[in-house]
Amino acid sequence: MSTSIAPLAPIAPIGTIEQGGKVDGKDLAESFSKALADARGLEDRASEAAQSFASGDPSMGIHEVVIAAEKANIAVRYATTLKNKAVEAYRELMNTQV
Amino acid sequence: MATMDFFTAMEVSASGLAAERTRMNVAASNLANAQTTQAAGGGPYKRKDVVLQSVDVPGAAGTQFAQAVRGVAVSQISQDAAPPRLEYDPGHPQANAQGYVAYPNVNPVEEMVDMITASRAYEAGITTMSTAVNMAERALGIGK
Repeated sequence: MSTSIAPLAPIAPIGTIEQGGKVDGKDLAESFSKALADARGLEDRASEAAQSFASGDPSMGIHEVVIAAEKANIAVRYATTLKNKAVEAYRELMNTQV
Repeated sequence: MATMDFFTAMEVSASGLAAERTRMNVAASNLANAQTTQAAGGGPYKRKDVVLQSVDVPGAAGTQFAQAVRGVAVSQISQDAAPPRLEYDPGHPQANAQGYVAYPNVNPVEEMVDMITASRAYEAGITTMSTAVNMAERALGIGK
């Protein structure tokens, strides 16, 4: 008396993992690098303003220099905030229990 | 940069600050020359005044309210057409045939009022600016 051993059925795929992360063709990296580029442009403008104020340009007042510096500050903080949010989301995913 | 729309408020305030700075410079010029009997172009110094004009904000171009949100700029510095103040001083080198000297049409009290106006308007501009910066900072702090 013999019983034949039925072969195991192949494991059916549960689903497919697709490459994701893009919404409307823009991903976080793209907006982060744009924010960084903006911040860099504003930093350049702030240092130009400080330089022309120091060299005695009559059209460049104190408040223009301070405002340029403040704009650069906000832009840098915007870029940093984007980065922090992205890193936070990544960490959250990496902490998933399996 | 539409992502940084708080900058529009900052640019509008900055244009106001620049205009008030010019008003301050003009008031300083008027006060300094309150006794100047010999100005460029002959005759006594004539009181100057700023004429303000609303202008486009560079950062707001292309945004929804570009036509409504306006900055300010000094369009010209005008001369007060009021007649000069005549004082009798025959020994003065600029005295006319009747012995009168033409002094500038500058009233120091009026200039002090202009200066206080400029100072208060400048403060208001700084407050607007600080509020815009605070709003941007609060926005960056969402979720903290």
